[in-house]
Amino acid sequence: MTQLIAMLKPDFLLHHALYGSVVMGFVCPLVGVYFLLRRLVFWGVALPQVSAAGIAFAFMLQGLGWNILAGAESQEKHLAIIGSLIFTGLSIIFLAVLERRGKGVSEGRIGSLYALAWAASILFVAWNAAGETEMLGLLKGEIVAISESDFHSMLHIFAVIAVCMFLFQREFLLVSYDRDMAVILGRRVLAWDVLLYLIVGLTISLGVMTVGPLVIFGFLVIPSMTALPWARGMTSFSVLSSLCGGASALLGFYVSYTHDLPLGPVIVSVACGLLVLSWLAQAAAGAGGRRFRLGRPATSA
Amino acid sequence: MQEPLIRFKHASLGYGRAPILTGVEFDIPPQSFVGILGHNGSGKTTLLKTILGLIPCLKGQFICPGKPRYGYVPQKERLDLIYPLSAYDVAAMGTYRRLKLFAKWRGLDDHQLVHRCLADCGALQLSGKAYRDLSGGQKQRVLIARALAAQPEILALDEPLAGIDITTQKALLKLLRDLKEKRGLTILMVSHRIQAEKGLFTHIIWCDEGQAVIGPADAMLSGGRLSEMFKAEL
Repeated sequence: MTQLIAMLKPDFLLHHALYGSVVMGFVCPLVGVYFLLRRLVFWGVALPQVSAAGIAFAFMLQGLGWNILAGAESQEKHLAIIGSLIFTGLSIIFLAVLERRGKGVSEGRIGSLYALAWAASILFVAWNAAGETEMLGLLKGEIVAISESDFHSMLHIFAVIAVCMFLFQREFLLVSYDRDMAVILGRRVLAWDVLLYLIVGLTISLGVMTVGPLVIFGFLVIPSMTALPWARGMTSFSVLSSLCGGASALLGFYVSYTHDLPLGPVIVSVACGLLVLSWLAQAAAGAGGRRFRLGRPATSA
Repeated sequence: MQEPLIRFKHASLGYGRAPILTGVEFDIPPQSFVGILGHNGSGKTTLLKTILGLIPCLKGQFICPGKPRYGYVPQKERLDLIYPLSAYDVAAMGTYRRLKLFAKWRGLDDHQLVHRCLADCGALQLSGKAYRDLSGGQKQRVLIARALAAQPEILALDEPLAGIDITTQKALLKLLRDLKEKRGLTILMVSHRIQAEKGLFTHIIWCDEGQAVIGPADAMLSGGRLSEMFKAEL
């Protein structure tokens, strides 16, 4: 406990890494709730891997002498972010367009994209032996090495994402829940979809750069699943998911720090632990497998 | 003569390039209760979606002079039950016509309107309950309340009685009749059967073999193919 309190103090050596993890833990589930509700959980698996492939591609280009952002070492990260954003953005457009057309097997497309992204990541790394170590560090998500300026940039962007998710909650809910109704009410469904997908792309790209694809997938999906049975409306669903994500990050960081374990897998394990606790609590509360309940089930009109 | 609320002129309706209904030409008068009837796959829902602006007219014209507001009640199975929404949350969606930032904190969230619509549909006591836990009839009441919250001139319902027991069907039809009288609504209702609702319709649109024709309900039901079609029910 003393160590936990010491960790929370501003003079803690890794305070930027800790705060960064917790901020991501709070914000990613706000986006993740829509993955679960729109039944796009597999996007949460595939897109972080695609983002990782984008990072690998950017580094490969640099390794091959294509110095797009020539010179400064500090611009490596910017290059990686650009690669990640482009790959993630293009993949979202590809998936969203095919999803709208409603043709083919959605899971098959996402599975293929995931396999391709994984294979591409390995190949891009193989073609860029010089930058292999640095890139593997980025792909793993070395948040413990996050600089003060990167932390502040991340904080600002994630604050904007969080504000957007609450500010436009009604719009995102309406276009996700009943697209036809949104059209009839005169809402610009495509514009709201594009905004949501932009936020998803930005969250994943920055998240993968900061904590790696594994943790981002964990943050996008697991806290939402933990919160769903206890949610009473969209605001409580978002807030509960966010709290679960933040708690997973804080506890995960504590366990990782005190037991000298790798941070990412510990955070995901803690998040899964909370999910299991949620299921057990549901069973104990006599929920009997119902996903959520606000009142007594009705039997007649 | 009364100006029509909705008018089709030589219209072809369908998805992509494939028309499902061709040569559609009729007017829908205001404050009518129109039953859109036909077999499965005959184009009933296509016609309704065109009227609602969800799909464009492939050919010809669809004219809606006064640009009326619509309230839409989809097939209840279309809405995913994974969403952790209460009946109130679902009904409130009808008020989401305009972007209202911080609506809740600024007192702009149309709370009273939603409550009044739920009350009009006999669903006020359901407002705090989980939508997913409601029975079929209760879900329909909430969806009708949601449509009313859009303050519509035209209420469009897609198979609202499907999968609902006879007693609840009668209660819902009484509700629709009362709402029509109280609010002066025009009601368009897709159905593939006509047992409980035959006395309600003022007009019937019959969709069959790529054609859609309209007529007064009595005349449409009293002879010809439609009466043959539904003779078991009539």
